[in-house]
Amino acid sequence: MSGLAQPLPSRGRGTGAVWRAARAAVRRRKLQTVVIGLVLLFSAATTVMALGLLVASTAPFDDAFARQRGAHVAAAYDSTLVSEAQLAEAARRPGVEAVAGPFAQAVLEVPLNGPGLTGGPLNVVGRADPAGPVDRVDLWAGRWPRAPGEIVLNDTPPARDLAGFGPERWQPPILGTSAEIPGGPTLTVVGVAYSLGRTADAWVTPEQIQAFRPSSTQVLYRFDSAANDEEIEAGMATVTEGVPADALLAAQSYLLVKQAVAAEPGVFVPFLMVFGILGLVAAVLIVANVVSGAVVSGFRHIGILKALGFTPGQVLAVYLVMVSVPAVVGCALGTVLGNVGAQPLLDISFQGMGFGPVGISPLVSVATLLGMPVVVVLAALVPASRARRLSAVEAISAGSAPRVGRGLRVQRWLSGTRLPRAVSLGLGLPFARPGRTALTISAVLLGVTTVTFATGLTSTVTRYADATDGNDHVGVRAADPERSTLRPASSLTDPQIEALLRSLPGTSRVTVNLTLDFSLVGSAQPVGVNFLRGDIETQGYREQVVEGRWLAGPDEVVAPSELLGERGLAVGDRITMEADGRRSTATIVGETMGGAPGPPGLLADWSAVGRLAPAHQLGNHEVLYQIQLARGTDIPAYTAAVEAADPGLDAWDNGGTDSFTVAAVSLAAVVTLMLGIVTALAVFNTVVLNTRERRRDLGMLKSIGMTPRQVTAMMVTSMAVLGTLGGLLGIPVGIVAHRLVVPIASGAAQIRVPDSLINVWSVPLLGVLALAGAAIAMLGALLPARSAARLPIAEVLHNE
Amino acid sequence: MTSADSTSEVVVRLTDVRKEYGDTTALAGVSLEIRAGEAVAVMGPSGCGKSTMLNMVAGLDRPTSGEVVVHGDDLGRLDETGRALFRRRRIGMIFQFFNLLDDLPALDNVALAAQLVGVPARQARRRALELLDELGIVDRRNIYPAALSGGERQRVAVARALMNRPALLLADEPTGALDSSAGEQVMDLLLDLNQIGQTLLLVTHDERLAHRCASRLVELADGRVAGERSLERAA
Ligand SMILES: Nc1ncnc2c1ncn2[C@@H]1O[C@H](COP(=O)(O)OP(=O)(O)OP(=O)(O)O)[C@@H](O)[C@H]1O
Ligand SMILES: [Mg+2]
Repeated sequence: MSGLAQPLPSRGRGTGAVWRAARAAVRRRKLQTVVIGLVLLFSAATTVMALGLLVASTAPFDDAFARQRGAHVAAAYDSTLVSEAQLAEAARRPGVEAVAGPFAQAVLEVPLNGPGLTGGPLNVVGRADPAGPVDRVDLWAGRWPRAPGEIVLNDTPPARDLAGFGPERWQPPILGTSAEIPGGPTLTVVGVAYSLGRTADAWVTPEQIQAFRPSSTQVLYRFDSAANDEEIEAGMATVTEGVPADALLAAQSYLLVKQAVAAEPGVFVPFLMVFGILGLVAAVLIVANVVSGAVVSGFRHIGILKALGFTPGQVLAVYLVMVSVPAVVGCALGTVLGNVGAQPLLDISFQGMGFGPVGISPLVSVATLLGMPVVVVLAALVPASRARRLSAVEAISAGSAPRVGRGLRVQRWLSGTRLPRAVSLGLGLPFARPGRTALTISAVLLGVTTVTFATGLTSTVTRYADATDGNDHVGVRAADPERSTLRPASSLTDPQIEALLRSLPGTSRVTVNLTLDFSLVGSAQPVGVNFLRGDIETQGYREQVVEGRWLAGPDEVVAPSELLGERGLAVGDRITMEADGRRSTATIVGETMGGAPGPPGLLADWSAVGRLAPAHQLGNHEVLYQIQLARGTDIPAYTAAVEAADPGLDAWDNGGTDSFTVAAVSLAAVVTLMLGIVTALAVFNTVVLNTRERRRDLGMLKSIGMTPRQVTAMMVTSMAVLGTLGGLLGIPVGIVAHRLVVPIASGAAQIRVPDSLINVWSVPLLGVLALAGAAIAMLGALLPARSAARLPIAEVLHNE
Repeated sequence: MTSADSTSEVVVRLTDVRKEYGDTTALAGVSLEIRAGEAVAVMGPSGCGKSTMLNMVAGLDRPTSGEVVVHGDDLGRLDETGRALFRRRRIGMIFQFFNLLDDLPALDNVALAAQLVGVPARQARRRALELLDELGIVDRRNIYPAALSGGERQRVAVARALMNRPALLLADEPTGALDSSAGEQVMDLLLDLNQIGQTLLLVTHDERLAHRCASRLVELADGRVAGERSLERAA
């Protein structure tokens, strides 16, 4: 029999052997394979979410505006001065991309207390359909008016319901309600549509609008270039050339709308950037750690492969394949998870802004699916090419050959301390593998940075919501006898109403707010002054002072940032106001972040009413009562009780979750959870590797009487050091990130943030955060440490 | 000298010990007694169950059936922690491949055994120093295992095994990885230890080691005791 001497049939370039060896390696390292897969899964999910939100939040307005083919300018012309033909002619000039209209336009006075249709002057446009070349409004409920007496309102669609019911299922309660227009027909709401460019408050049929005696004509333009004010002005100059000078009544640029609408998503971008960057860096670091660990711990195996005759290139290939298989699977699953997880966050983030469904760009998934495996391969390449260079003998002995000179002095010093030996041995472990230790610390550092940043963000956002929401649960106002058709006038005076409210069970605090309009000398527009009395501190204005100070006398006012910016005023300015023909002056002593409900107005003490508006005849309907309820009070029952006590009082629920707060807090929570898991996995992996490399040492320690508990303590201690260190380094990084990002974010929202919103750190909170790193690390270490404690000693000691 | 006699106390008693690993029967009913001061050598062909038996005595493994009583402790009834505490107090072990911690110099490797029990570092080091001195390697105390010769490493391992004054010293092929002169030194050391009263149980392939150090020879074959005889120790 000469069979033994015959060469085996050769299989090309040995790809089969590589594949088989890699498969065997994966099978023998089940745990490692699972860890690589899981880390990739969560890293990819975090990456998809971070990138997805980032991409979505940079351009939601532009995207939605482009989808609607929104009007760059909504112009109103005096129909008596310019003919439709003239307007149509002008719109054909070069530079105009598209034009819609002319549409007749009228202003309706709708009764304030109609059953559904409320709110005074309504800018109504007659349009035959919601489509067209410009301003394709999103008809999200009901249908377009077909006959006279029907009206469609302009309002933002609700967020996609999390349970999966689309807006198409949900019917807004206003649908089907009607209101009688004084001196006109009764209008029934047959639909609700949304025009992102806010071209009208409502639409009716072209026939119906004629009944309202339209005075103006609306034309909607899209220009070839409309990126800034100059381009828009140039476009308007083109289309108004030859049109009588007075004919253009108003021209509303989309840039103004965009500024207002895009502010809130703009707040998100800096937060998302930080989370996104943290997530990406953590993912890359941890992948590098896991992968290089897998390769380093495989050195012996590499030696054996080489002894069997694998070429260096084949060894490299075995390791790349071994790592890539779980990496690709984890990455694919993670991409799916990230897409699924990000959608609710996107919905919360952009709900009620009318951008329509904001989805995750498929490019993000593609980038993640291609990018993450590249990162993995790069991370594997460094140690794998080291393995490639290793000679067979070196590699075989790598597992057992002693390493000399690494952190030995530390070990020596530790063995002389008074610490329990298991603890001091554990403390020494990280010094044996400085590279792995550095990667693990970095991972924990990023985890703690995330937790710190997220905690700070959550506190800031919650404080912001508390401050601006005014903590009021219920608002109360007496009916206006001149406008209200539904309610009788209240016979109570202002002080009597306050006393009544204070006497109702459930009332905790009452702030009384009288808003009067003054003309401001030097400013074209009037300014509202909110005179406050009662439990003003409930409103939190004092904490919101960003510059100057709070009110101290009747000749002082405080102004929100927005108003100061609008009117070009500053703290310290003396302003002159006029009402009922009388002039008076006041000094702006402070600037606050937010202000009273309604359009931005000045804040003044109630005692200033007599000084600023001595002639004013106070009507009880002018006063707003802002009520904070005792904990646990049922709000609907309370409002019913108010209205029962005096039918002339209108009470409403002021609550409603602030979508921004919800979005920011859930975002912070989700990202923190994901990165926390990834960090714990990184530690888990490190302990698994350390255990595997130190099997022999562990066996020996157990043979000389180390108890399972001591083994666990040793391994957990080794990671607790790294966790604590990473934690201590991560906290300052997180705080700095928070301090840098909050002002940027609030700048995007055009608010100035008081220090009380940035200085959210307290000693106990920092203490808890400092423990976070150690906690994450110990959590990750516990399982593998316990399995190390159960390591069968006999085999390890005799065979290795 | 203190060669054991039948009146000495029994340190190890194996009663019909069986050990199965799946289908493999490593020990098929071994009964054995070792008295204080004895030096017992276990010999037999590869795979006959010598190491397995030693592991039973050390409490590293539990018998499938039968009873292992060492110094009054029934090891089959102790849990992991109990057996670890037992090893600390009663047992010293030396191995073919030394099993020293590479990150610690000789002195701290030896001191470790006492520190695990809670002896303060200073005291542990003092005792370790004494032992290294007695074993003639005190000048190597600050050297790391990688830089020690095989014989030196094994003597460090012996010192470590003796740290907690064990009732029983177990050795599995203590000279198996050593050249003949280093092996000789270790044999002398074990003999000396036994002659000052240390009870010894050694597993070996090496006839010379057995004849030099042991007072009794137990032969195992196929997981059973195949023979037993007293030895005249070679001088
Ligand atoms: N952990 C284990 N799992 C399975 N089988 C084992 C295990 N340990 C030992 N065995 C088997 O038990 C039998 C006895 O093994 P043991 O190690 O006690 O032999 P030995 O006499 O020490 O041999 P050697 O002289 O080669 O060291 C062998 O057949 C071995 O394969
Ligand atoms: Mg053996």
